[in-house]
Amino acid sequence: MTSQPAPRSRSGFGQELDRITLERARRGDADACAAIYRRYATACFNLALRILGERAAAEDVVQEVFLKMMNTLSGFRGDAPFGVWLKRMTANATIDALRATQRFAAEDPETVFASMASRGAEADQRVDAWSLLMRLPARARAVLVLHELEGYTHKELSELFGQSESYSKSILARALKKLSGAGEPIKAEGELATCASNL
Amino acid sequence: MREQPLNNDTMHPVLAELPEFEPGADLWPRILAAHERKRRGVRHPRRIAAFAAAAAAIVAAILIVPRTAEVPKLSDGQRESQSLEREWQALPSASARAASDVARLHVIDTALQAAYDRGARADELQPLWQQRNQALRGLIMSARSDAVTRI
Repeated sequence: MTSQPAPRSRSGFGQELDRITLERARRGDADACAAIYRRYATACFNLALRILGERAAAEDVVQEVFLKMMNTLSGFRGDAPFGVWLKRMTANATIDALRATQRFAAEDPETVFASMASRGAEADQRVDAWSLLMRLPARARAVLVLHELEGYTHKELSELFGQSESYSKSILARALKKLSGAGEPIKAEGELATCASNL
Repeated sequence: MREQPLNNDTMHPVLAELPEFEPGADLWPRILAAHERKRRGVRHPRRIAAFAAAAAAIVAAILIVPRTAEVPKLSDGQRESQSLEREWQALPSASARAASDVARLHVIDTALQAAYDRGARADELQPLWQQRNQALRGLIMSARSDAVTRI
């Protein structure tokens, strides 16, 4: 365990964006927009992919987010860091995609993994972690990823899902239990099955 | 967002092992193409919509607003004209002096008819009705004056 405080977001959304690039992008400079894409696209893509479980759907979310970003950047006031603003757009677009498609059955994680170039830990560990995540219902994945990886509070999750804070706490606890292999399969639990169908 | 910093105590070890994937290399060109399509596609419908809205506003201004605003005045003019005409018809026959006023009334009636035929607006019709009423008032005064002279 480390005593060093980690960044609030473990994903690439925590990267800073220099003011010059931001100003250029605000004026519609294509090169500046491309620079922003290169910096944040991976973070956007992984957030969407971990929740939606499908590469094509995640790329659709990234496309939607960056199109929206280019159209609304002039209105970005800078109250929050740019990465936080982009993360909110990505989370909202991902949840909207989840609601629109009613797609909860993920692709075979082995297939997803095999089709993608990856980086980081050893391949065997990656398959295990990914497989475990994909065994969760879509909403449980969303709560888990947004809370544990992206730093969303339960209050923010309750607003995002239109549910109470205790609701996301309950889902998170069960999802973590599932990941630990200590609980019953989540899909068998009535409440989470209902949650999923409500998305 | 989170109240406390994230660390390995709060994040599940499994999540720490999650792989990170890259989006397809062709995604950014696709986004740029979609942005350009949207920009071009949106610009023209916006122009068309703006033009249509402006045209609708002009048509509404010409057809609806003046009519609703001026119909009462026109009706008043017509109503007054009918009343004056009845009053004039009830009086004894007009004198020779009134013949020119009658001719003037016919000229005004012809102008009114022509104005209606070409679909004239209310603001064009109203002065004609006022002229007609003035002509009728002149005829009534002449007829009354003749009647007094005869007595």
